[in-house]
Amino acid sequence: MNAIEVSHLSKRFGALTALDDISFSVSEGETFGFLGPNGAGKTTTIRILTGISYPTSGTATIFGHDIGRDTIAARQSMGIVSETSNVYDDLTAWQNMIFSAELYHVGRYEREKKATELLTTFDLYERRNDKVHGFSKGMKRRLTIAMGLVNSPRLLFLDEPTSGLDVQSNLIIRDVITGLIHEGVTVFLTTHNIEEANLMCDRVAIVNRGIIAAIDAPERLKNTIQSVQSVVVSFDHSSAQQLDEIHHLSMVNDAIKEGDKFRLYTEDPATVIESVMAYAHTRNLRVTSISTLGPSLEDVFIRLTGLQRTGGAIHAID
Amino acid sequence: MPSTEEGKAGAWFARFSHEISAAWAISRKDMITYYIKPNIIVMGILFPFFMFLAFAIGKNAPPGTLIPGLIAITLLFSASSIEPVSIPIERRVKTFDRLLSAPISLHSLVFGESISGFLYSLGIACFPLIVGIILFATPIEHAPVLVIAMALTAFCFATLGTLFAAYPTENVGEVMSILNTVRLPLIFISGVFIPLSAMPQIGQEIALFSPLTYGNDMIVYAYTGTSLFSPLLDILALVIFILIFQFAANRLYKKFNE
Repeated sequence: MNAIEVSHLSKRFGALTALDDISFSVSEGETFGFLGPNGAGKTTTIRILTGISYPTSGTATIFGHDIGRDTIAARQSMGIVSETSNVYDDLTAWQNMIFSAELYHVGRYEREKKATELLTTFDLYERRNDKVHGFSKGMKRRLTIAMGLVNSPRLLFLDEPTSGLDVQSNLIIRDVITGLIHEGVTVFLTTHNIEEANLMCDRVAIVNRGIIAAIDAPERLKNTIQSVQSVVVSFDHSSAQQLDEIHHLSMVNDAIKEGDKFRLYTEDPATVIESVMAYAHTRNLRVTSISTLGPSLEDVFIRLTGLQRTGGAIHAID
Repeated sequence: MPSTEEGKAGAWFARFSHEISAAWAISRKDMITYYIKPNIIVMGILFPFFMFLAFAIGKNAPPGTLIPGLIAITLLFSASSIEPVSIPIERRVKTFDRLLSAPISLHSLVFGESISGFLYSLGIACFPLIVGIILFATPIEHAPVLVIAMALTAFCFATLGTLFAAYPTENVGEVMSILNTVRLPLIFISGVFIPLSAMPQIGQEIALFSPLTYGNDMIVYAYTGTSLFSPLLDILALVIFILIFQFAANRLYKKFNE
């Protein structure tokens, strides 16, 4: 049985079509990434899959339970970590955990055991009796995830789990998610961090303007755009002016500055390497490092969503 | 081995028990989080008190006779003030999504939210009750009727507050403004300050559509032994209002989440 089965799901808000006949399935134990630019329909999909919102047409089932008709049974097996750290600031960390467990009908003994275990895992146990309003952003995020796990879900919805967090929180959260994946928990991950999706997901769906533009394993998606390769080079002296010069080298389609390195997009890395070496020689520069890279998931994302890379930033082209 | 019927009954009981315990968890969370929020203190305690003073001062009636009216408007304002504050705040900080996505029915969510307003209101309404007993020796003719009247009136207005809080906004002031356009007229048309018998015919007819009319009538009966309607009719009317508010709230929360 699939953990999630979505069939011809559409959602319209008046004249706006937020989701346009999307279908996909997520197998039990799979880590599934759901990527897309802002307004693509990610949040709408999650709200429908968690039973908060209702589709205009189509169906969605969670472990065989129709989310519209059998909502409570469908929700019972899921944990939800929303994009916002939606914890109760006026409750203590412990009270937040217990409240969440009570909503999910976790028994008294089990909820105290689980709360202790999760607060310890997320390095919050020492602060369990403190009100949450004094917590840092990272601590609130960790608590939000701990609350999402209190019912030992078989399916976990993770919406931007590590966005904008400190290193310690990031490491703890990634460790926990990796552990859950190994335990066979199905993870539905929404993230803007494409590299995070690339590293964690068995498959990703790239959604744009309410439709699924592509759905496959990250490596297979990258193979579809082998024409987008790149050469990354750094010189012993770098300046912003060099970007303009190397942008005009032979076979370079695009160039961006990444820290002390330049990334040159091309369909012919060998020619570009030759051009770069010749350029360095004429400018009396020493190449400190040079490497070639295949297309990243970000490249696939940009290609499929119609976004455009400009000077290292990504912009929508409508 | 249990029969199919027994199995169904067991599953139904387990589900009912889960719903009740989740509703109670929501109420407890509200009690800890919102009971001492400044706008709840202002709207739930100070507002009815000063509103009452504004009408009571200058009246020739002995203060003790004003206690039933004070209890009625305290129940109205305090019971209906919790959710219109808590739910917009929870929408803003997204904790309301946590409740909407929990494995509980919308009825339990609405019920749980209303319980916190109900208990808050009962607690606050005990002050005028005690003041009446201690300071003015106001006699209570039918104490059990008073308990039932206060409980039903409190729950009715708590559900009214939950109903108005369904309005999809993150702004507390917006819900309060809309709610006050209903609450304020209620105290004038429900026989709290002006007896229904002294009101024009049209006023008396409108009063029949106000739940406060029945709550106040029953409280007056509990104190004086006389009332406009029979207490049974008052109970029936309040139960009908509770059911209407509960089902309307359920529908609106569902509709506004679409």
